Amino acid sequence: MTAYLIRRLLLIIPTFLGITIMAFTITRFVPGGPIERMIAEARMQKTGLSSTRPLAGDQTQPLSEEQIQELKKYYGFDKPILVSYFFWLGKVLTGDLGVSTRYYDPVWDMIRDRIPISLYFGSISLLLVYGVCIPLGITKAIRHKTQFDNISSIIVFIGYAIPGWVVGVLLLIIFASQWEIFPLGGFVSDDFQDMTVFGKVWDLILHTILPLIAYMVGSFTVMTFLMKNTLMDHLASDYVRTAIAKGLSFESAVFRHALRNSLIPMATHFGNNISLILMGSFLIEKVFNINGMGLLGYESVVERDYPVVMGILVISSFLFMVGNILSDICVAIVDPRVTFE
Amino acid sequence: MNQGDILRVDNLVTSFDTEFGRLRAVDQVSFTLGKGRTLGVVGESGCGKSVTALSIMRLLPKPSGVIESGEIRFHGEDITKISNVEMRRIRGKKISMIFQEPMTALNPVHKIGKQIQEVFQLHFPEMGKQETMQNVVRSLKDVGIPDPEKRINEYPHQISGGMRQRVMIAMALACRPDILIADEPTTALDVTIQAQILELMDRLKKEINMSVIFITHDLGVIADICDDVLVMYAGNVVETAPVFSLFEDPKHPYTQGLLSSIPRLETPRKTRLPIIEGMVPSIQELPQGCRFQNRCPDVMEICRAQSPEMTVVGQDHSARCYLYSNP
Ligand SMILES: Nc1ncnc2c1ncn2[C@@H]1O[C@H](COP(=O)(O)OP(=O)(O)OP(=O)(O)O)[C@@H](O)[C@H]1O
Ligand SMILES: [Mg+2]
Repeated sequence: MTAYLIRRLLLIIPTFLGITIMAFTITRFVPGGPIERMIAEARMQKTGLSSTRPLAGDQTQPLSEEQIQELKKYYGFDKPILVSYFFWLGKVLTGDLGVSTRYYDPVWDMIRDRIPISLYFGSISLLLVYGVCIPLGITKAIRHKTQFDNISSIIVFIGYAIPGWVVGVLLLIIFASQWEIFPLGGFVSDDFQDMTVFGKVWDLILHTILPLIAYMVGSFTVMTFLMKNTLMDHLASDYVRTAIAKGLSFESAVFRHALRNSLIPMATHFGNNISLILMGSFLIEKVFNINGMGLLGYESVVERDYPVVMGILVISSFLFMVGNILSDICVAIVDPRVTFE
Repeated sequence: MNQGDILRVDNLVTSFDTEFGRLRAVDQVSFTLGKGRTLGVVGESGCGKSVTALSIMRLLPKPSGVIESGEIRFHGEDITKISNVEMRRIRGKKISMIFQEPMTALNPVHKIGKQIQEVFQLHFPEMGKQETMQNVVRSLKDVGIPDPEKRINEYPHQISGGMRQRVMIAMALACRPDILIADEPTTALDVTIQAQILELMDRLKKEINMSVIFITHDLGVIADICDDVLVMYAGNVVETAPVFSLFEDPKHPYTQGLLSSIPRLETPRKTRLPIIEGMVPSIQELPQGCRFQNRCPDVMEICRAQSPEMTVVGQDHSARCYLYSNP
């Protein structure tokens, strides 16, 4: 077990290098990098701020060659890719993710501000997804083809067919705009600081419910049906028949025998769900005006804020790999056939 | 019901609701099982052997499988009528069953000891923990599993197929049942293991004086360990007899066909074994009249018009054929 864990942890290193080298290379070649942005900004100031579109045929270079070289040097673009990659990596290893090219804030500070929000939504949805989908899937499997099963299937599938952010928009229109039960977005109200403790909690809950639903719909459906279908397969299995032949009631056979076997694929998905949910979704965050990791990542890609992009990538790939190891551990806990040899 | 009979099945009809409508997999099956006797059930694939066994255990796949009519009398009581709770007290304690596939019949995520222990906990809830464990170990010892104290902490994937089938037998015999139903228990095992398991079952059966229903394709096995034989064809019983009379003087043309397809030492090598030509009719499209007519070497006019009934043809020996009865 320990040996296995050490091996898996060591494996993180090459995977991490692979992901980051690839991303780093891409940032070098995608047009519209920070230097081009500087040039464009400088050009806009010259032409009088009137339009963001450069005039056709306007090829005048607003910055001198010297200035450009200076910028390239500043961003490390003057060196070969590998050299600047290792330069970047060296800084990352000391905990320095660099500085945003857009806000000139340290990347780590920007990410750190978002982590609690993403962690908050992520862990609640993870808890709910597992806490609700497992019992729901079990009930649906046992009551297969009953009214309860059919109706819940329809609801869950509608949720699945609509993307999370559209669900978010619909929820906002219905419950926040039309009926004004929930706030229109944001993480907390503006007057949050002046509220009593109870008021704060209540305010947070009100702000949480709608985005949480939007966050969850996708994985919720997948996990519910995964649970239901695997359990149904196991209910028809030989060993459940053996259990009933021993004299067990159907219910005991489900809970003592079939259930644990059906949890194996749920455990396999655990790591995937962790990284998916913790990294958030920029569209949902945009809809609800929540400053989570998803939104930050999206904006920095659009704005070519490469240090932030790379910083988020470092954290998310790390989460992803840790999630996979956690998955393996979960699977090994429920399935004795899996050993760490 | 005879004094010595422990189980009596009368006109059992078991059907499945399928996309082709309600199909009778077992049709008017009757037989008796004597105390301490072994009844062999033979017949080609799909003739309803397993469905008969599952009907007795009331383990038919739900909701499609139903016992439509007939009686299954166990110690005189019709167990098709009793409640689920009462049936649960019989399953695993009075009537046990072992299945064909030892590879999948055990729960992969529980230790062997735990799976056997569960039987004792269910049927003897008053038994203390220590005593239960002693019984688990003893039951494994009974079926010839070496190192039972060690085995109880192993998972099914850690032991061989033969060992798993022994564990299944240990589990089935844990409560010393009156009847053991074995549905092709050795088909999935290789020949030497097969012989060991058969010998084991025979020995245990004598030790606890239980009755056995042994389902198999293998007439050789029947000759070895059975007292009586039930030959099934397309959901019907076509012949029933003590094992000696059946091998000595098979009456039904189907039984004759089955017997002549066994290789024997005295037949010279290279002679082709006779096989029964044709296919078993599927239960969706049973012909009018006798179900064996399309393959029967002795088919007559009457066989295509009417179904024969079971007729007594000798001491404890009956067959369903117009060769021995007049319509
Ligand atoms: N769950 C089911 N649904 C519908 N039909 C079934 C079902 N189980 C069995 N049958 C049908 O019942 C008939 C008898 O099947 P059964 O399993 O008893 O055969 P068998 O004699 O045990 O054959 P084998 O030697 O292959 O085990 C077959 O025609 C089969 O198609
Ligand atoms: Mg069968």
